[in-house]
Order: sequence, then C-alpha cells, then structure tokens
Amino acid sequence: MRLSFHLVALAGLALSVAPAWAQTSYPLTLDNCGVAVTLAAAPERVVTIKSTATEMLLALGLGEKIVGVGFQDGPVPEPWAAAGAGLPVLAEKLPSQEVVLEAEPDFVYGGWESNFAADGVGERPSLTELGIASYVSPAACRSVKPVKLSFDGLFADIAEMGTIFDVTPAAEALIAEQKAELAAIVPDSRGLTAVWYSSGTKAPYVGAASNAPAMMMTALGLDNIMGTVDDGWISASWEAIVDANPDVIVLVDAAWNSAAQKKTLLAENPITSQLDAVLHERYLVVPFPASEAGIRNVGATADMAAQLAALTFDQ
Amino acid sequence: MMRGPQIALSVGLWALLAASIVLAVTFGPADISPHEVWQTIAQHLGLPVQSGVTRLRDAIVWELRLPRVLVAAGIGAGLALCGAIMQALTRNPLADPYLLGLSSGASFGAVTFLLAGAALLMPVGAFLGAGAAMALTLLMTRLLGGATPSRAILAGIAVSALAAAATSFLIFWSATGDSYREILSWLMGSLSGTTWGDAGIVTGAVLLLGLPMLLAGRALDAFAFGDNAAATLGIDVVRLRWLLLGATALLTGALVAVGGAIGFVGLIIPHVVRLGTGSRHRLLLPVAMLLGASFMIWTDTAARSLFAPRELPVGIITALLGAPIFLLVLLRYRRAT
Repeated sequence: MRLSFHLVALAGLALSVAPAWAQTSYPLTLDNCGVAVTLAAAPERVVTIKSTATEMLLALGLGEKIVGVGFQDGPVPEPWAAAGAGLPVLAEKLPSQEVVLEAEPDFVYGGWESNFAADGVGERPSLTELGIASYVSPAACRSVKPVKLSFDGLFADIAEMGTIFDVTPAAEALIAEQKAELAAIVPDSRGLTAVWYSSGTKAPYVGAASNAPAMMMTALGLDNIMGTVDDGWISASWEAIVDANPDVIVLVDAAWNSAAQKKTLLAENPITSQLDAVLHERYLVVPFPASEAGIRNVGATADMAAQLAALTFDQ
Repeated sequence: MMRGPQIALSVGLWALLAASIVLAVTFGPADISPHEVWQTIAQHLGLPVQSGVTRLRDAIVWELRLPRVLVAAGIGAGLALCGAIMQALTRNPLADPYLLGLSSGASFGAVTFLLAGAALLMPVGAFLGAGAAMALTLLMTRLLGGATPSRAILAGIAVSALAAAATSFLIFWSATGDSYREILSWLMGSLSGTTWGDAGIVTGAVLLLGLPMLLAGRALDAFAFGDNAAATLGIDVVRLRWLLLGATALLTGALVAVGGAIGFVGLIIPHVVRLGTGSRHRLLLPVAMLLGASFMIWTDTAARSLFAPRELPVGIITALLGAPIFLLVLLRYRRAT
C-alpha cells in the first residue's frame, strides 16, 4: 500500500516535472554548420528560405512566427497547406539581404548554406552583427562535412528546432509520429538496384552515398548504384549508369524539370532507352521539396514504398 | 610539292589520330575489355565478327563512346582551324574563335532555348546566336568605318561582353532549383551525352566548312605581308577576308552548339604547331587540325574517365592544360625575338 502510494506520488512528480525538463533555457548557444549561434530568447520573427525550412516550422506549429519566405520549391503540401497559404513571399527566387532585413527578422533559416551569401540573404557573420541569428539545415552544410544522413539524424534536427523555439513537446510529437510512419515501411526484399535521377540531361545529377536520397533508398530496401561515392549528389556519367543497369529509377519531380520530362528524355535517348528500368517503365516519383532533407522524407519514403510494391519484375 | 619531313609529319599525325580514336574508345567508367570494344565496333561496321557483349555494353560502346570520341576529334580539329585562321586574318596572336563574340553569341542562343524548355532545339539556338553575333560584329565594324583587323576585334569584344551579360542575366533570372548546374557545365564546355546526331553535325561542319577553308592557306600566307602585298598577288582581299570570317562563324556555331564553350584549344594548338612547322599556312592549317583532334580526344577521355562515375566538364581540363602551355609558348616567342 505504502509502496504503491510512493509510486503514484513519484509518477505525479515526474509528470509535473517533465515540461520543465523540456523547456529551453536561454541564452541558448549551439553549433550550426561551424557557426556558433546564440539566442537570447526563442525567435519571434523568422524568415525561411527554401521549402524544407518553411515546412519544418509549419509542422512544428510555428507558422505564426514566419514573417517572410523566399525561394520556395513548390506549394506547401497537406496537412500544412492552410497554415502555409498566407505566408508573405519576399521573393520567388533568393531574396536579397535588403529585402530580408526589411522584414525585420530575428532568425533566418536557410535550406541551403549557399543561401547565406553576400548576393543572397547576407553572409552569416554580417547577419550576426545585426543581431539576427542564422541557421542552416544541418544536412545541407557544406563548410563542415556533415555526417552521413540518417532518419535518426533527421529526428535530432527536428528536436534541435524544438529546442531553439522552445516547442519541444511539439517536436517530440512530430518525431513520434514520423517514427511510427517510418516503422510501418517494409523495405523491399527483392534485392533491387536503383539510381536517384535528380536533374540534368547530358550529365545527370544523381543521388550519391551521404544525403537524403541515400537515406530514403536504404529505407526502401534499394541498393544505390552510386552509393560508392561519398557525397550528397554528383554529376555522373551515363556510361556508369548504363553499365550498372539499375532495376528502378527514382525520378525527382521538380517544376523546372518534371518527372514527365525525365521519362520522355530517358525513352528518347538512344542509350538510356536501352535500360531495363526504362523499357519496363519502372519508375518511382518523388516531389523535389521532399527529396532534400526535411520533414517530408518519411512521408515520401512511405509513398515510394507503395509505388515500389506495385512494380513487377517478372519479365 | 611536299618535302620528306612534311610527309613524315603528316603520316605521323594521321597515325596519332587513328591511334587516339582506337585507344580512347577503350577507356571509360564501364569495365569493358579493349578486345570486346573493338569487336563490337567491327560488328557494327558490318565486319564478320560476333562480339557477344550484352545489349547495354554494346550500347555503351556504339552509342556513347564512339560518337563522343568522333565529336571530340571534330571539335578539336574545327577549333584549331578556326583559331589559326582568326590569328592570320587579324594578325593578332591572341585571336581565336571567341574573339569576334561568336562563342558568347552561340552560348546565349543555346541558353535561351534551353531555358525556354526547348532543350532539343539548343543547337538551332546556338547557330542563331552565333549568326546574330557575327552580323552584329560586322555591322559595328562597318559603323566604326570599315573592315580593319583592330576594328573587327573591338567590335567583337563589345558583342562578346553584351552576349555574356545577357547570358548571365538569363541564368540569374530564370534558373530555378538546380537547373543552373546544367547551364554552367554547358558554358564551361562539355561533351557529356553527345550522340550520333551530334557527331553528324560536327563532322558535317568540319568537312563542308573546314576543308574548303584549308584551301585558303596560300592566300593567308600572302596576308601575312599585309593587305597591299596580298592584293598585288591577285587576291581579292576584302572578299576573301569576309568569306573566311563568315565560314569561321558558321563552323564555330556548329561546334559550340554541340560542345559548349570549350576554351584554349583554338588559341594554343596553332601556336604549338607554329613552333614546329613555322607559320606557313598551307602546312599550319592541316597540321593544327590533326593535332587539335588528337588533343581534344585525350582531354575528353580524361574528363569522362579520371573521376568515374563522376563527369568533369572537359573545358576545365583544356583550360588547366591550355593556360600553362600558352604561357610556355609566349616565353619561347619572346626568346626567339
């Protein structure tokens, strides 16, 4: 009796303490892509560059804090479409530093490190001098080589974003939801090889060993034919691809280079039209914004798993 | 007509070119034995050989490697010829096909078509761009007061700057996502993904435009002594100059349409050849073509093989090799004078 009373009391204590553990104590200092970022308080006015950054904040319920978006890769998908509908667009392409400053942000969140250039939103040190914190999606870091991307690494990035904005419960909920969806994906067991065709015609730009394409292909049970090259994406040679003759081709569907355009190109080119995957139209399609590291990777992997399961290889 | 050393030289260069083609097709990311490669090619040529390689390996050899090696040879020969002729016409050792703005114009035309979504019509865009740049250069030369080498060069520089700025603007304005990568690798010059169609364009242009240009070697030798000297030898100086400039423009347009802006080949090959043969154009022009063809085959083989499965734009390699060679050539000229 006494023991169970103590246990209940302990559990009650734990419950009342849990939110306190999750709370972020400011000033918060963190290392982001080799730059020490210090936050005096949770950011209140955020500019996001690229779709991955915008969608991350929307998924954490932080849409209210976004004062401007730039360089979006496509429409915001469900279930965040409504939250993303009214966001002020600073520029269709990369906004200039002055345009960004006009929005008076205290935090600029870029999907690519190259967004933070003098002819882009501004270099990170110059933003820091103006009291504006900057943050690069860790998987897109180039000045410090990021570790090979994994879903656990991606969840750690979501958790870090939760810490930055002091919304850890929302981050934990999102991570739990994504983990459950990921756990439900059954990797293909047919021993299939694949190439991740992102863009390019004469020299195709394809997913290599260390970034989101490799991570998703591994979860799908696909063997990446460019998995030997330790890089995120590379300009590959058609000869190497034809020589490997992958079973499946993953097509990135971007507004400027659609999956349909790629299918036409592959079918018309005298050499790629010989590939087994092209002859039997064994394609998986992934939207471009979901092909870069972010909160859409899990959903895109689940979607591709369904596409893959529908493909037959008995010819 | 030809003396012994010249015969030996031309036989040697033809042998080098033939050996380059035969050997270069055996290099590549795919591990195919030289024996299989030659059997495959022999089979396609109708010889009574069965290669027995798989369908895809057959395609790698016949659809990827061989047309690409032939395109490289044609572009190398064409660029070297254009460079030698431009240098003679303008009496400017720094002249090459890019001098009169043709390459920038061709790039602009090609990029315009590429961004407009008509990637398949890109060669047409390059032709139109080169033609427009040529017309603009000629018009400006006329407005400057008539055709002299220096005026043509000045007009060419202006047109080149204009076309380059327009290209940069297009890229800045239109590039979405990572589409700039394709454009940049094309502007640097790359033979990735060349087809038999490209090989047809390049070979046709070199045969139809390049070979007649070879006949001008004798007249170009007269040009070296000045327009008046050439005129007293019975050469219609003005007509011949514009004919040659027009042919150079067309040929450059065809080459840039297929391979992009590959630099330094047109500049250095004629200089290297001059060191060996002297500057008599009857010899210089064909020798430069043959050497340019072999040079381009090997630089492109390096571009597609060294970093497999990656590809490097070949223009990077020609510039890396070309710039130091050009400096050496300049130093030797200085010592010689």
